[in-house]
Amino acid sequence: MNKVICVILSLLVLTGCWDQRHFKNYNLALSVGFDQLENGSIIETVSIPTIMGSPEGPLKPKVQIVSSKAPTTLDAREKIDQRISASFDPSKLQVVLVGEDLAKRDIYPVLDGFYRNPNSNLNARLAVVEGSAKEVISVKTPNESRVSQYITGLLESVVLGTYSTGENLQLISAELMEPGEDFTLPILKKVVQGDEQLVEYNGLGLFHNRSYTGEKIKQEDAVLFVLMQGQKGKRARITRKVNNDKAYEPLNYVTIKVMKIKRDLNVKVQGGEVKADLSLKISARILEYPHNQLVSLQIINKLSDRLTRVLTKDAKEIAAKTQSANSDVFSIGRRVKAYYPEVWNQMDWNKDYPNITITPKVEVDVKQHGIIN
Amino acid sequence: MGFFKKFLVGKSEQGNKQEKAFEHELPQKPHYAQPQQMSSSAQLSENIDYLFSQCKQTGDLKVRALDDGRAALVFYETLVDHEKMQKKIFAPIEMGHVGRIPDLPNSRQMTNLDEAIKKLLSGHVLYFDEDSTRITYFDVTASFNRSVEEPVNEKVVRGSHEGFVENIKTNVNLIRKRIEDKSLVVKYFKVGKKTNTNIAIVYMNGIADPEIVRKIEQRITDISVDMVQSPGFIEEFIEDSTSSPFPQMLNTERPDRVSANIMEGRIAVMAEGSPTSLIAPSTFFMFYQSPDDYNMRWYTGTFIRLIRLTSFLIAIGLPAFYIAVVSFHFEVIPDDLIVPVKSSINDIAYPPLVEALVMVIIIELIREAGIRLPSPVGQTIGIVGGLVIGDAVVRAGLISNLMIIVVALTAIASFVVPSNELSTTLRLLTFPLIFLAGTLGFVGIMFGLLFIAIHLTKLESFGVPYFAPIAPLSLNDLKDTFVRIPLYKMNKRPKDAHPTKQLAMEESREWKKNEQSK
Repeated sequence: MNKVICVILSLLVLTGCWDQRHFKNYNLALSVGFDQLENGSIIETVSIPTIMGSPEGPLKPKVQIVSSKAPTTLDAREKIDQRISASFDPSKLQVVLVGEDLAKRDIYPVLDGFYRNPNSNLNARLAVVEGSAKEVISVKTPNESRVSQYITGLLESVVLGTYSTGENLQLISAELMEPGEDFTLPILKKVVQGDEQLVEYNGLGLFHNRSYTGEKIKQEDAVLFVLMQGQKGKRARITRKVNNDKAYEPLNYVTIKVMKIKRDLNVKVQGGEVKADLSLKISARILEYPHNQLVSLQIINKLSDRLTRVLTKDAKEIAAKTQSANSDVFSIGRRVKAYYPEVWNQMDWNKDYPNITITPKVEVDVKQHGIIN
Repeated sequence: MGFFKKFLVGKSEQGNKQEKAFEHELPQKPHYAQPQQMSSSAQLSENIDYLFSQCKQTGDLKVRALDDGRAALVFYETLVDHEKMQKKIFAPIEMGHVGRIPDLPNSRQMTNLDEAIKKLLSGHVLYFDEDSTRITYFDVTASFNRSVEEPVNEKVVRGSHEGFVENIKTNVNLIRKRIEDKSLVVKYFKVGKKTNTNIAIVYMNGIADPEIVRKIEQRITDISVDMVQSPGFIEEFIEDSTSSPFPQMLNTERPDRVSANIMEGRIAVMAEGSPTSLIAPSTFFMFYQSPDDYNMRWYTGTFIRLIRLTSFLIAIGLPAFYIAVVSFHFEVIPDDLIVPVKSSINDIAYPPLVEALVMVIIIELIREAGIRLPSPVGQTIGIVGGLVIGDAVVRAGLISNLMIIVVALTAIASFVVPSNELSTTLRLLTFPLIFLAGTLGFVGIMFGLLFIAIHLTKLESFGVPYFAPIAPLSLNDLKDTFVRIPLYKMNKRPKDAHPTKQLAMEESREWKKNEQSK
């Protein structure tokens, strides 16, 4: 019995690590933004909701925006800590925003601190901001009480709509390090509408290794681009111009809903040259086609053919864009490395990716046309 | 002197028997037998004097002289029923059926005065007459019984509403009426040197494991105390591990529950003067079964039993989990709950550990105050405690409203258990887990639960594993553990009680096959 008491006491007393963290003693930073300054140091901006409790339930939270200048992120965090009431804690971080200028240099240095801390939330979503991240975090919206909730909601709906691949801190960690694979991050922009400040999704930024290339996939191409990567959100809609002959503009367009995709990437090496065939089969349902004449199979097949043509052309442009940006988002490099290691060893993927041949092929098959003909 | 010698021999034999407890036959008489045996004398006055001196001149020992002092009736006026006495003794004589009292049809005779005192104490009336050593006695015990009514703490919605009373004979009668079988065995023991309490064990011969029966008999005869009040006393004398927080014998006041358990091969222990009966051997999951389960459709029975078992985890673990979350691992709070949680605990002065302890103790105070008070006052206490303290303590900013929710839920969950014994155990187990969670977080909870699991697995009740059918695993017995499958599929008795006859039923729904084959 004495032994047991000794063991329990020493377990409790001698281990010396008292890692209690009382929730009430921490201020949670829910969104954080990083911007580059001319002189090389960075600005870190955080949004901290301060909540006044009341017996009848929580009152509306007030959001406190604090920013500080320092050469490194943790140094900046220390400075923020010295300006707020309790300690700053990133463990419920929801959004990490990176300013365009900083992203173009290198995003890894600002993220390193998050990867090393076991408490940080690796599910936090990442986005690049056109302009400065501080501006977006300081956006005042009347409908949303917290800016972090606003931006998270925005980024989530972007993923649902197949406009983005939904990268978070965890998912990009491998892609940051690995040469044979790159990634994209959604681009956000502050817009002013009357006296209302809003944040807008503005396409996908192509990254090469650890930095933003400056090239972006436009918002209208984003769905096709994400589908080409083999991912599909809850809904995916594509609107394309299929006719030129109608005077009234809406009649020239069709909107389809992507029901199912089958994506196939085939990488082979022929005579030392890397060739990638990217085929994408889309089963579609017509959501909007104001002609109201989808009665015969012939017309529907014709529409399918036109869509196939238009989308294949777009896909080629997208592929060309990734090559000109030197951003291997389709992970072709990884496949070369796996299947043709001797070819890979002779290549310098950072330089050779723009020179390989990518042949995208999109096939659209209209399966349904809604409940009217 | 001869008697004295005999006593000495008997005592030493007894000592030997205790040493080699496993190879002896059970003593038929309890070993606290009479130190002396006094035969009655032919002199009436000598006999009466002896009785009075042995009974210390107690005031309620009455002598009624008959035949001009040539005979006497001796009885405790506080123990006998005067009407019975009138009917059994005086009425037949007056009617002229019988001439003399000793010739009455329901009389019995003996000559031993000390035995006679025992009869006197159990409510008999003794008849002495001059010039005879014969003592005639009649059973005229007065019994004042509660009527058989539903036990307050074990109510059921459907099913029998009978409950045990304080009279052991009535209680055995309630069981015998339910099991009309010749192999239902009742064995009586006298326990308590001074109280001489009547204890009965009831079991099915041919189903109950003889080894367990023997063990229980042995343990009961070993009890050597002055006073045995209730099964609570017996329980502590005969249970395997008194240091365990878990009850190892099931307490119940319901005859249907007892008879069902007897039919599973378990043994019931009852005591005079208490409506509670003990069932041994018991397993942990028996405390979660209620007669109600078998009276509803089996889906509902299963659902409610699952809720009860979940309540076990809630009752011991919820406050600990909450404390661990808000003082160690707040990253597990879902994003959408961050703001409500944060706002409710932000301005609380005390750490969650203190908060929880204060609230749990307040709840225990309210509960304990409510039990002892008469019911109208008890309700007031409930209202004062529940509404006023609960609300005021939050308004004053002493306790967060989340903690109130957590502690209230825990208290409710601990009352869901059908057994009061286990319910108190659960409330007690909350405390170590709260401390562990407050000092070590999730790691502490894990350690605590592990300790409980190890203890449950190791515990035995009369030689059978307490945590059966989980450890040791018996798939067949799981039919009546987490779920309650239809009765006709439970055709085997649970293995944990070691029944000597496993099969409880043969094909009971054969009619269905017959109808389908037509």
